Amino acid sequence: MTTLSDAATDRAATPRVDRLGVVIAILVVVALALPFATFRATRIASGTGLRLFDALPAGTAAAVAAVLVAALVTAVASRRPTFRLALGALALAALALGAGAAGAHLTPADNPYARIAPASGFWVGVFAAAMLVTDAMVRLKLGPVGRLVALAVTAALVVALLASGAWSHLSLIAEYRNRADVFWREAGTHLVLAAGSLAAAVVIGLPLGVLAYRLRKLRDPLINVLNIIQTIPSMALFGILIAPLGWIAANVPGAHAIGIRGIGMAPAFLALFLYSLLPMVANTVVGLNGVSRAVVDAARGMGLTDRQRLIQVEMPLALPVILTGIRIVLVQNIGLATVAALIGGGGFGVFLFQGLGQTATDLILLGALPPVALAFAAAVVLDAVIEISGKGKA
Amino acid sequence: MIELSHLTKVYGDIAVVNDVDMHVEAGTITVIVGTSGSGKSTLLRMVNRLVEPTEGRILVQGNDVSKMPAHELRRSIGYAIQNHGLFPHWTVARNIATVPMLLGWDRRKVAARVEELMELFQLDHAQFAGRYPHELSGGQQQRVGVARAMAAKPALLLMDEPFGALDPIIRGKAQADLKAIQRRTGTTILLVTHDMDEAIHLGDRIAVMDGGNLKQYAPAADILARPADAFVDDLIGAVDRPFHYLTLGSVGAAVEPGEAGGAPLAADASLYEGLGALLWSGRKAAPVVDAAGTPLGRVTLDSIADRAARPR
Repeated sequence: MTTLSDAATDRAATPRVDRLGVVIAILVVVALALPFATFRATRIASGTGLRLFDALPAGTAAAVAAVLVAALVTAVASRRPTFRLALGALALAALALGAGAAGAHLTPADNPYARIAPASGFWVGVFAAAMLVTDAMVRLKLGPVGRLVALAVTAALVVALLASGAWSHLSLIAEYRNRADVFWREAGTHLVLAAGSLAAAVVIGLPLGVLAYRLRKLRDPLINVLNIIQTIPSMALFGILIAPLGWIAANVPGAHAIGIRGIGMAPAFLALFLYSLLPMVANTVVGLNGVSRAVVDAARGMGLTDRQRLIQVEMPLALPVILTGIRIVLVQNIGLATVAALIGGGGFGVFLFQGLGQTATDLILLGALPPVALAFAAAVVLDAVIEISGKGKA
Repeated sequence: MIELSHLTKVYGDIAVVNDVDMHVEAGTITVIVGTSGSGKSTLLRMVNRLVEPTEGRILVQGNDVSKMPAHELRRSIGYAIQNHGLFPHWTVARNIATVPMLLGWDRRKVAARVEELMELFQLDHAQFAGRYPHELSGGQQQRVGVARAMAAKPALLLMDEPFGALDPIIRGKAQADLKAIQRRTGTTILLVTHDMDEAIHLGDRIAVMDGGNLKQYAPAADILARPADAFVDDLIGAVDRPFHYLTLGSVGAAVEPGEAGGAPLAADASLYEGLGALLWSGRKAAPVVDAAGTPLGRVTLDSIADRAARPR
């Protein structure tokens, strides 16, 4: 009796190749082949790429390589998410500590201007390991709270890495050390720009959305105007705002005193706010529209006043969609606020554009990495909040 | 209880409800039946001002509804609809408590009322009070919807196709329960449906609507015996008419002296049920007993058949 059960055993015995695992494995091989660290005599000199075994003492290099190979094997052969998560995290740690060790190993004692930076091999390795970790997280099907905890743990590990001094010989940290004060000031500006414009967009956009929901006639014109604003490129919008804001600063008493200028933070803030309005208003309208007609009819028929219906029934039911709008706005603004530096608005873009001007890659990274990390964290947090807020509603 | 006079609703050029006069007796179930687009829902929704009439007047318990603030009027009238419209983010208990909370009852009174209603509608309080609507079956959701509508003890309950989303077996049970609860509480019910069976089963009086006009407004027996026009006749269905007619009478009314063999029939069973029992058991007659089991006599196929014939 050969039969179904035999066939089933056969199938189970044949290891199915994990396609993502193969991609990760290829990336790890590429990472090992590419230079692990770059050595430059000065911060803007062109660099020399050094492979893993040239960038690190033999023992350390072998350890890093061993962890990467173990991750490679796990990615292809193991299907257990916890295994994959552990090996991915281990690979990330090995890469991070390896990069720090390369900094210490390669910095010549007599040349304080020499710069060591992680090179393409490091980044490809990080990408591969991060894929392994995120894929494992998805397979673990973490709930919202679990994801928040994972984010907090990740953040704590990054902070610990930076605080431990393990990376102190790397050029990115050297750039940071030279600008520590400015860095935190611009970080503050960046947050004010991103979160402040979001807050303004919520305060104005939510009521506008409710109004557009209640007044059918207002809906299409309003959404169309906001759509048009959304299509203006950010640089152009800054330019458009210079003239009116400059005029207000010059002619409205007190405007200049509270920081309104043609250039600087005011137009940047205003532009981010304008970009935020469409997702806020549109999601509010869509969220409210999505409340079932039977529910709205019942609420009216039970004798809820318009205001009670809005606050007790429609808003809570539209909340997940409105929060999705807030998530879009926040992530978008954290990214867009970088551009504010172009018109003197400050933020992490300051380092980015300085770095571009000086062709100093490390400075570019100093300006680019924090907003990326912030946007990622904001997305994870808000996704979790959205999921929690949507509970109990079918 | 309700007095409609010259009630008219016009959308564009079309009179959705056209000059309707109607009087609804307190403590009865009145069913408005019609096809879709007949204006039956619009008529119902004008009573609690979800739709404002173009012309005419509505008195509820002698008060002109247009003189009251709409939200206060609605709190005083129960309202249950198809697909129940339960608030999905509120628990069963909170849903039922909606109107009492709006009226500002104190917490303990609200909690007691919720418990009382859940018992009345056969929903175990401990098990269901904390659940969300999506965790209930269709029949349970419907019962919560009606319980919510009756929470503040309204004298009048408006129901718009309340059983429309239920499957036939649960629908039959829900109708029977509603009728029993209505007899117990004495609530006046105005119910809209497209289902003539439901109308005959529930309605003390039936209002037939077509194209915005009230075609006939009479007790179920009159509608069956003397349909006002071809439309009403059609709505009843020629084949079903005698059987509909039998659902209105009870076995007790057809009892004659004498004896018969086999399982007895209950006196309060409908003639329709009696006919079914006789046909299925192949008997020409069956004994009839009252609720206590005392023999009352017998009922025959012929006596039932007599009562299925058109009255003259």
